Formats: sequence, C-alpha cells, structure tokens
Amino acid sequence: MSFAEYLEFNWDDLLTMAAEHLAVVVVALALAVLIGVSVGMLTWQSPRWSGVALAASGGLLTIPSLALLALLIPVLGLGWVPSVTALVLYSLLPIVRNTVAGLRAVDPAILEAADGMGLSRTGAMWRVQLPMAWPVIITGIRVSAQLLFAIATIAAYVAGPGFGHEIFAGLARLGAANALNQAIAGTLGVVALALVFDAAFIVIRRLTTSRGLRV
Amino acid sequence: MSESSSTVVSRPAGRRSAPAEGGARIELVALTKRYPGQSEPAVDDVSMDIAAGELVMLLGPSGCGKTTTMKMINRLIEPTSGHVLINGEDVLRLDPAELRRRIGYVIQQIGLFPHLTIAENIGLVPRLLGWKAVTIAARVDELLELVGLDPSAYRGRYPRQLSGGQQQRVGVARALAADPPVMLMDEPFGATDPITREHLQTEFHKLQRELRKTIVFVTHDFDEALRLGDRIAVLRERSVIAQFDTPERILSAPADEYVAGFVGSAAAIRRSGLTTVDDALRHIALAPPGDDSGGLSVSGEDTVRDAIDAMLRNGRDRIHVTDRDGAVLGSLDFTRICELWARAGQPGGRDVG
Ligand SMILES: Nc1ncnc2c1ncn2[C@@H]1O[C@H](COP(=O)(O)OP(=O)(O)OP(=O)(O)O)[C@@H](O)[C@H]1O
Ligand SMILES: [Mg+2]
Repeated sequence: MSFAEYLEFNWDDLLTMAAEHLAVVVVALALAVLIGVSVGMLTWQSPRWSGVALAASGGLLTIPSLALLALLIPVLGLGWVPSVTALVLYSLLPIVRNTVAGLRAVDPAILEAADGMGLSRTGAMWRVQLPMAWPVIITGIRVSAQLLFAIATIAAYVAGPGFGHEIFAGLARLGAANALNQAIAGTLGVVALALVFDAAFIVIRRLTTSRGLRV
Repeated sequence: MSESSSTVVSRPAGRRSAPAEGGARIELVALTKRYPGQSEPAVDDVSMDIAAGELVMLLGPSGCGKTTTMKMINRLIEPTSGHVLINGEDVLRLDPAELRRRIGYVIQQIGLFPHLTIAENIGLVPRLLGWKAVTIAARVDELLELVGLDPSAYRGRYPRQLSGGQQQRVGVARALAADPPVMLMDEPFGATDPITREHLQTEFHKLQRELRKTIVFVTHDFDEALRLGDRIAVLRERSVIAQFDTPERILSAPADEYVAGFVGSAAAIRRSGLTTVDDALRHIALAPPGDDSGGLSVSGEDTVRDAIDAMLRNGRDRIHVTDRDGAVLGSLDFTRICELWARAGQPGGRDVG
C-alpha cells in the first residue's frame, strides 16, 4: 500500500487522532496558562520568589518525559489525566518566565500613575500591567505550545490520546506491512498540527494585543 | 518693529483675585517622613496652610524632599508623624484609593497607559467612580477641548501617537477628569523643551484661573515658580520652609541668603515680569502720548518687563500704552518706570504688582 493509499484508508482514524492530539495540547496549555500566569503575577515583584518559581519550572523540564510519565502512573493511572498533567508541568517554564519578564518591563512611572489615580493593586494588575505585559506573555505561551505538540506524542506510553500511539505502533513493527506509513503519518500529523496552531497564534496574538502597544 | 508691540506671554491681571469654590483647603500639620534606614528625616516637621483655590509651588534643590512632601498628601507615601487635612478631614482616616480618585495627580514622566486610547486614559477614573458611558464620553471631549486638543482628532489615538507636549496635556486632562478639588503636580512640564514648557505653563495658568483648583506644584525652576505660583514655598534640606510667600515678596524681600540665592542677580527685572502695566499705573501716572514712541505700544495686560523689553530692543525710551481696543491712553518712559521701582523698594511699597 502506498502512503497516499494508507492515508485514504485511515483518514477517519487519523482525523480522530489529530482532534485528540489537539485537544490534549489545548487543555494542557489552558491549565498551564492559568497556573503559569498566576505564578508569574504572584512572584514577579520578589526576586527571591520569582527565582524559586523559575528554578522549579525549569527543573521540571529536565525530568526525562518517560520517567515523569512512569512516576505519574501509580498516582494518576493511565489515559488523559497523567498525559495532561505531564504536559502542564513541561509547559510552565516559558509561561512563568515571560510573565515575570513582561510584568517587570512595565515602566514604574506607569505604575505610579495608576497608584496615584486610585487604582487598587488588583485593578492596576488587570487593567494596566497584564494588558501591557500580554505580548510578552503570549510569546511564552506560543513557545510552550510548540513544545507540547512534540511532547504530547509520549502520552502514548500512558495510553494517552493523540498521534503518539500511531507513531510508536508503527516504529514497533517496522518491517511489517504499512509500519513505516503508520509512523510517518503520525509524525507528519504532529508537524502539521503544530504549524497550523502556530499560524493561528500569530492571529490570536494580534487580536488580543492592544493596538496602542503595536504603534 | 510692530512685533515688539504685540502681546508677549503676559501675566494676566487680577490673578490674585479671591479663590472661587473650585478647590479645597489643605493643611500640613507637623508633617514628618523618615525613610527606614536613614538617620535624617527626608521631611522634617513641615507645617503649611494652603487656601482653597490656591496654587502653591514647592521650590527647592534636588533631594530636598519636595516629592516626598507632596506624595504624603495623597498617601502615596505614608507620613511617619504629623497630619494632612483636606477641608479639615484627616486623609489618614480615608481609604487611600478613594482619596486618590478625588485628587488629580500629574507626574513628570506623564505615565499615560500605552494600551489605552486617549479617551480611555482620561475616562479611567470616572469609570472607576461608576459614571455612565455617555457622561464619560462627554467629559472626555470637554477636557480635550480644555487642554487645547481637538477631540475628534485625538480621542481615538494612542499615547505613542502623540508628541511629548500633547501627552503632557492629556496627562493634565486625565488628572482633571473627575473634577477633583485638589491637584498634585510633580514637575509636570519638566521633560519638555523650553519653548513647549513655556507654552504649557501659559495655558495651564489660564486654565487654573478658570478652574481655581487647589494645586501643589513641585518644581526646581525658579522662573516657573514665579510665573505660576500664587505663593511659593522655598524649601531647604529636609523640606524645611525657608520662606512661604508670594512671588513678589520673595523677589523684593527674600527672607535670607538661601532664598536670595534662588532669586539671583536679576531680581528687579524678574519682578517687572510679575507686574502688569495696569498694576503699575495704580502707582504712577501716564505721560502724554507724545509722538516719539516709534509706533511701540503695550496694553495694560502686558507686563512692565514687556514694556522695558520693547523699549530696549527698539532703542527707544518711551512706549505707548493702549487700552483693549488699541486706543492710545498715554505713554510710559524709563524715568517713570525707575520712579515706580524706587517707590516699590520702600517699606509699604510691596503691594506693587
Ligand atoms: N523610597 C525612598 N526610600 C529611601 N529614601 C528616599 C526614598 N525616596 C526619597 N528618598 C530620599 O529622601 C530625600 C528626598 O527625596 P525627594 O524625592 O522627596 O526629593 P525631591 O526634592 O523631590 O528631589 P528631586 O528634585 O530630585 O525630585 C532624598 O534624600 C532621597 O534620597
Ligand atoms: Mg522629586
């Protein structure tokens, strides 16, 4: 069977896998943004605590992914939960780092003006600091997204969703019929998803950044 | 030569008129600030009574504590001891954020929010105060007009699309947004070039004559203090008041060597810039017009300095004085101006200007 025929035959399955792969990345990314941006917001002012946060999220990245997943199985079992958990842990660093950097880059004079006008701490954070830091933060989110598409394939080891299963199944039976097609289809699927998502990010970034910051 | 007779930036007459209802009285009572880890206080036992509608300049060298003193009024800095009363109310008893929404605040770095449009910047405090959207929009346009920016051209722009001088005007408009009785201004025009600065000062002075806010204005520019202040507080180290008086008094009767140092060598010339021709004419009589003025003229609203300047520049010793409609009332010459100054130097002569 040629690669084209393979695709034609397995189109339905491949689409399902693509949807799952995308879903696991988006869910993990959303959680990581929630956690990472919050951690950044809470720690940016304190060099000590933001240092701790960065070291911790950086440290997580150094754990080999298979080892991390293996460690999660006894606690979280198999499937979506350990997959998403692992992905969240791996994507924190760029988000925390860029949130801290973006918030620190806001001119102190602007914070003084906000204070002097009677904005509360949280008011200044939501109305001024976060919108101003947003272009930097979303750049971090984009880096995380790219990481996640690749790392999400490993989820296959905990019977997680996505293209991972396709790739590893193919690789495991190399030499057998359609094994190579299977591995290639999965790999290309991941790449295609990542590229489309990245293009979408450029649009999202534009739509969510104030025009005043771009002029 | 006709340009020499036109109105230069002049100090409008009657600027000492009784303050209207626009402002609130501010009292500083034995105000002291000691920053942690410093042996000397940054502000040491300062007391000051500022009338409603008065514009007070805090003048002093860098590091003397002007900003610290000012920021204790809106509690951006908390005093170590002492009190600030606004209309008799102790600000330490108020919620800081609510207090600040009722006090306009302008800083040298302007601090406009770059991600918000000009209209959103100006409308922010009214929004925090819960104004209706239509009311805010109308207020924004009114304020842009007030500071000399065309609302239709500027309300939708972003701060980075404005020049420094225009941004500074928006900064003033933003501080005025909720019509606060009190304004605090920390070297608001310090970052602009001299020409723009003088322009902004003139406009601001005109604005203040209408609005009659109570304003505490920090500067280290003596000329700015003279041009704008109803009263000037000359501060020493630790914000200790060396003299708190009208510009005329500070020029004519500096309290000590320190204050005299600010006044510098050209006190009489500077004073002539504070005295309008109308003021002068309450003390000296006009000479008949004569016909040797070479077409030079000043109006009653121009300052004596404008008159002297026009005469010097044109090599004349006589200048016509005209009324509002340009009709010649009489003439002024150097001898008469000298007479005026001789009289002003006498005890009791200080009310000149
Ligand atoms: N947050 C702070 N912590 C410690 N010391 C401070 C702080 N802010 C100001 N100071 C000190 O207090 C003194 C007065 O400072 P302040 O900013 O009030 O001066 P200033 O008159 O406004 O000066 P400038 O004209 O340079 O703005 C200075 O010696 C300054 O170093
Ligand atoms: Mg200062």
